[in-house]
Amino acid sequence: MPKRQTKVLLQIFLITLSAGIFSFKPLFSLTGINIFAVLDVSEYLHISIFFISLLLAYMITYSAIEADSPSLVMVLNIAGTGPAGLDKVEFDRIINDDVLVKPRVHDLVIDKMVYLEGDRYRLTRKGVLLSRIFIIYRKILGAGKGG
Amino acid sequence: MLRQYFIVLAPVIGLAINVASQIISFRFFQHIGLLKSIFAAFIVGFFATAFLTLYNSLSDLTAILIVNLIIYSALGYCYFHFINLGETARRIRILREIYDSGSGLSMNEILERYNAKEITEKRLNRLINNKQITYKNGKYFIASPVMLAMARIMVFMKLVLLGKRSEFE
Repeated sequence: MPKRQTKVLLQIFLITLSAGIFSFKPLFSLTGINIFAVLDVSEYLHISIFFISLLLAYMITYSAIEADSPSLVMVLNIAGTGPAGLDKVEFDRIINDDVLVKPRVHDLVIDKMVYLEGDRYRLTRKGVLLSRIFIIYRKILGAGKGG
Repeated sequence: MLRQYFIVLAPVIGLAINVASQIISFRFFQHIGLLKSIFAAFIVGFFATAFLTLYNSLSDLTAILIVNLIIYSALGYCYFHFINLGETARRIRILREIYDSGSGLSMNEILERYNAKEITEKRLNRLINNKQITYKNGKYFIASPVMLAMARIMVFMKLVLLGKRSEFE
């Protein structure tokens, strides 16, 4: 598996879209099938918007599946103990910073949103941009820090 | 010609209407809550997309309407996830903590500001309030199969897409 899976997925899908769009005309000339008879720029735009909207939905679902959600980890661990139940001390021992926080910091480094300078994590330009988008949006929404 | 572009952009305009309605409804009618504001705004945007498509379409009405509603639904789904990311994503919260610090944070400083205790407390409260789990005599139990079923579906999707049950495998 590649390290930056979302980036690779994006590349694969965008290459597929470009290849598809460029092959409409030759395919229509070769086969004469009506489905390939794209006529003007607005139709290409429509196809692209259709494809990109589904691509975004797939990518966002993929990234949600990639990392274990805390609620999922908690529920599965509790379910794993059956009718005996999961002791609170054991719960706190299993579900800790090593499971919930440190892997996400590591992800941010891999995705080049954060870099390590000495022992301090700092934001890259991409990280600053993403932080600002969420800070501004949540300010408009009147919501807190989240998480 | 302009109508043609209106049809193409109808789902994007629908999404803009969705976002605006969601922000307005959440800010000014806070009692309805975040989730309901998202659903209500999605419906507003859905009808706006349908109206713009039907109003401007000259031919292939049904096919174009179906395509535009699929595009709008996919974009609405992305917006839902965008809100959800801001609300629950650990990566976004960590980014924000580092951003707020100004000069960067060490791992220990990150954990002082945001840690497993805070993450689990919020979610446990939510799961207990929604009666998905119960807490009795110092132990947690599954109270409803709904969340467990959702967790199992997620594990199944992980297996299909990633070939493993957990990121730690």
